[in-house]
Amino acid sequence: MMELGVPFSKIVLAAQQTIYMVSISLAIGSVLAMMMAMTLVLTNDNGILKNKYVYTVLNTVINIIRSIPFIILMVFILPLTKEIVGTRVGTTAALVPLVVFIAPYLTRLFENSILEVDKGIVEAAQAMGASYFEIVWYFLLPEAYGSLILSVTIGTIGLIGATAMAGAIGAGGVGDLALTYGYERLNFPLMLFTVIVLIIFVQIIQSFGNYFSSKVRNH
Amino acid sequence: MINFIDISKTFTMKKQQTNALDHVSLQVRAGDIFGVIGFSGAGKSTLLRMVNGLETPTGGRIEVDGQDINTLSFSELRQVRKRIGMIFQQFNLLNSKTVYDNIAIPLRLNRVGEKEIRARVSELLEFVGLSDKVNAYPNQLSGGQKQRVGIARALATNPSILLCDEATSALDPETTDSILRLLEKINRELKITILIVTHEIHVIQRICNKVAVMEHGRVIEWGSVLDVFSNPQQEITKKFVQTVIADKIPDSIVQKLQGDRRNYKILRLQFLGENVRDNVLYRINKDFDVETNILFASVNELQQTVLGIFVIQVIGESPEIERVMDYIRNQQLSWQEVMI
Ligand SMILES: Nc1ncnc2c1ncn2[C@@H]1O[C@H](COP(=O)(O)OP(=O)(O)O)[C@@H](O)[C@H]1O
Ligand SMILES: [Mg+2]
Repeated sequence: MMELGVPFSKIVLAAQQTIYMVSISLAIGSVLAMMMAMTLVLTNDNGILKNKYVYTVLNTVINIIRSIPFIILMVFILPLTKEIVGTRVGTTAALVPLVVFIAPYLTRLFENSILEVDKGIVEAAQAMGASYFEIVWYFLLPEAYGSLILSVTIGTIGLIGATAMAGAIGAGGVGDLALTYGYERLNFPLMLFTVIVLIIFVQIIQSFGNYFSSKVRNH
Repeated sequence: MINFIDISKTFTMKKQQTNALDHVSLQVRAGDIFGVIGFSGAGKSTLLRMVNGLETPTGGRIEVDGQDINTLSFSELRQVRKRIGMIFQQFNLLNSKTVYDNIAIPLRLNRVGEKEIRARVSELLEFVGLSDKVNAYPNQLSGGQKQRVGIARALATNPSILLCDEATSALDPETTDSILRLLEKINRELKITILIVTHEIHVIQRICNKVAVMEHGRVIEWGSVLDVFSNPQQEITKKFVQTVIADKIPDSIVQKLQGDRRNYKILRLQFLGENVRDNVLYRINKDFDVETNILFASVNELQQTVLGIFVIQVIGESPEIERVMDYIRNQQLSWQEVMI
């Protein structure tokens, strides 16, 4: 690794930090996004729990957050970050803006996935006497499953991009490595290396996503 | 069993109002296969969906087994829905689940044990004739097979009523026939009351004992299939009935008649049951001094009864034709003179 100009341990640490940030914020973000997406689908105009106020408020909040670029969002919510994790800097501190960033994004993706489910399925569920929870659990989620996997895939890739900027608050990670060493210290080989690693990462994630999604869908 | 009492339904969408149902009253009795026919947009689906509370009326009320559906709490309504099966034109099966899991769903919603579910599902698959498809996914099935799964799913919880919304409209004629036979078997063997809405008159002809004709949200005519088919009152009913029970004299024959200079009358006779027909035609020929020509004849089976329609030309002296008409008047059949 001499030719990269950084100790190997640093690269491993950066990779660990990226994986840590992506997986934790993806997990928390997905849960929040699923709840919000379900709320949107159930309360929209054709929803079985139609509620104009809930829908409009949630929809607007999501639109507002989605329109703020991540790097600005991250700085903007620093006070909130401090409130939640007790510090403004570091890898864990980056989780807060990452979740705030990815949850609305995933919400939109999930919302579309769930809306793809045929209305007739919900009607059949209602006719069977299913409760609202049962409609979600036994009908909407299984039917949207294949599409949801793809949505998570797209969300994960977006999240990797966002973590590169998290270096701005000292979160580390692969992106930060490329910026500090590759850009500021003009270490082109390292830059190239991280770019290749990122491309491979993204390719693998996309392939997994496509594979599992089509496995579920091609019944 | 199902009592629609003066039901109205107005949809308001973007300030525009649609009267989907307009003071509809109907009674469906236990054991009926009750058909509702009408063109698209007549309000049939809206009416059907009232029965299990998927739609609520804006006027009137609906009773199922004496219970007013719209006064129930949501959990009470859910219990009622479990006693009412429903099948759909587009089948509405879960594509992500096997045939087994699709049929098992209503049982799982009822917290039935897996062992019991297994027994019930195989019993149902046997009943609908799909035992070999238990592990297939809906996309691997034909339309008719999908509908059989839909039917099995609807029957899983032993309902007393089955609602069918255009259940055969997406199927080819042969498959339609086999599904209709299955519905008939469900009615006969499982004693399930069936309410079926359709725009296909032959569905009514094949299996229903009662029929209601809908147009623009109103029921314009209803009664037993035998009565309505043999004596349709409304124009639209006549149109529907004519497509399955022909009673028009062919054009070429009409042309020939116009050149016929003899003294004659054309009579349209309608017979229910086979024996009457033979006897009447035989008597006219034997006992009167007239010549008869059959211009048109059709024989149809409805509810295990034969409905025969004969258009005959009676040729002879006027007084003799009058005597024939007197004779016919005294028979148990409906008839009319036809002008061409
Ligand atoms: N949810 C709805 N919102 C607004 N209009 C509706 C709705 N459902 C049905 N309609 C209208 O009510 C009328 C009857 O519809 P429907 O019962 O589906 O007729 P059919 O099943 O006989 O084709 C149609 O004009 C239709 O556009
Ligand atoms: Mg319809």
